[in-house]
Amino acid sequence: MSATIPLPYMLDFYPLEDEKFTRIHQFFTNLKAGKFTTTRCKKCSTILWQPRVVCSECFSTELEWIELPKEGELFAYTAMVLGAPLGMEKEVPFVIGIVKLDGIDLKILSRIDDVKYEDCEIGMRVELKVIRLEDERVFYRFKPK
Amino acid sequence: MRKVAIVGGGLAKFGIRNATWKELAQEAGKAVFDDVKNLAPKDIDSLFVGAAQPERFAFQTHVAPMAAEQLGIFPTRVVARTELACASGQAAIRYAWACIASGLSEIALCVGVEKMNIPNMAEAQTSMTNVLDREWDGVHGASAPPYFAMCAQRHMKEYGTTREQLALVSVKNHHFSTTNPFAQFQKEFTVEKVITGPVVAPPLTLFDCCGITDGAAAVILTSAERAKEFTDVPMYILGSGQSTIGNLVTNLKSLTTWEPLKVAAKEAFKSAKITVDDIDLAELHDCFTISEIIEYEDFGFCKKGEGGKFIEEGQSNIGGKVAVNTRGGLLGTGHPLGATGIAQAIELLQQFRGDVPKERYVKGAELGLTHNLSGAANMHSVMIYGRG
Repeated sequence: MSATIPLPYMLDFYPLEDEKFTRIHQFFTNLKAGKFTTTRCKKCSTILWQPRVVCSECFSTELEWIELPKEGELFAYTAMVLGAPLGMEKEVPFVIGIVKLDGIDLKILSRIDDVKYEDCEIGMRVELKVIRLEDERVFYRFKPK
Repeated sequence: MRKVAIVGGGLAKFGIRNATWKELAQEAGKAVFDDVKNLAPKDIDSLFVGAAQPERFAFQTHVAPMAAEQLGIFPTRVVARTELACASGQAAIRYAWACIASGLSEIALCVGVEKMNIPNMAEAQTSMTNVLDREWDGVHGASAPPYFAMCAQRHMKEYGTTREQLALVSVKNHHFSTTNPFAQFQKEFTVEKVITGPVVAPPLTLFDCCGITDGAAAVILTSAERAKEFTDVPMYILGSGQSTIGNLVTNLKSLTTWEPLKVAAKEAFKSAKITVDDIDLAELHDCFTISEIIEYEDFGFCKKGEGGKFIEEGQSNIGGKVAVNTRGGLLGTGHPLGATGIAQAIELLQQFRGDVPKERYVKGAELGLTHNLSGAANMHSVMIYGRG
């Protein structure tokens, strides 16, 4: 009789967000509380996306957490129809877009949930959506407002 | 800095191959040593292996020593694996060029290998997703096709580029690949077939996207002084440029103007002391149809926004302003990530030698360029080559 050999554990797409694994765990703690945040350099005032521990403009380590706008508009969008990665094959087609946040010079790539590709248009209003993974990790997406 | 030449090249057939990473490396290695008669593996002092994702596609790292083993090479100067996602092959040539130019190396072998077709295609797609910043962009399920689909959407909106104009890039490059026995795709395409193909990420269909391809390519580099020992028609490296704006998808201000490409191209032309108008042959990174259209514009082959018109008028065909992707491009030959940049260089070498089928021969060509983008078009690599 042959035995079934279990396959090794692999990392998934989502960041490890616990303070044991990352120094920007505050981002995820904030997200759990519904806040969309990033870091700003106290020295040169640069807003850094994604959140950092060192300012890439002046190398200061004096960074503070600031809230980002939770609304914006679709700058561009498409749908993943063919070629989804592991774990997402059953979710196709799903919308992917670039969101231009309100009141700040910042664009963010995101899954756009709760809408069909056919119903999207450039300039469509969107807002933050927080998703929860089965192991209690969280992540952000956007959805139509 | 010494002047550097490519003196020979060899390819493994591109496609869905019944072959492993190591076997593909062996095939390209044999092909290049068959091409360069007065050279044996023992003469190679440095080895550069272009490989984007052997860790995921072949579950193997430390591939440079492995390639040395497959090809009987015992380097004494520099051994390196070069990873720059879709530009990994050009990266190998760039490192070899720098080492020979500096005098560190005398004769270097570059071999680019990628084995991409594996039993679980979702696993392969996952490997392409982590080219993007996995934690912030890839995590949304994004990979190259959705990104370039959004570039196409914005280009159509901002400049009125049409669906048919996108398709014409695929038609041209698949036409050229029918002249290339090493290409993955050997059939002519029509605009109709491209537009009505299976949707991958709208507006792009399967035939707007390059294939998932196994393949390998190899070249030999040496100094200009020694090049004539090995060939009558060496190909000189005249200039290069490379620029990046980081890896995050949204670092680029625009989806339709790729600023790092303009920076890399400007540096390449400046270092080669030529202008874009001097280029006879261009191997542009047509990973998607929209890519080639934006590249016509950002290289300066045509004005911004007129890339669609450029292909429509046949300006990127033989007999036009510049012959683009005569071997079939990534769309026609497939895109084994680590091999592509090297295969592009081999096309220019063979063109300069007059060693290509007459259907794609650009007679009298003296100057060519190869271009690779990587990631979400936020990294660009350009090399300028001249006929010796």
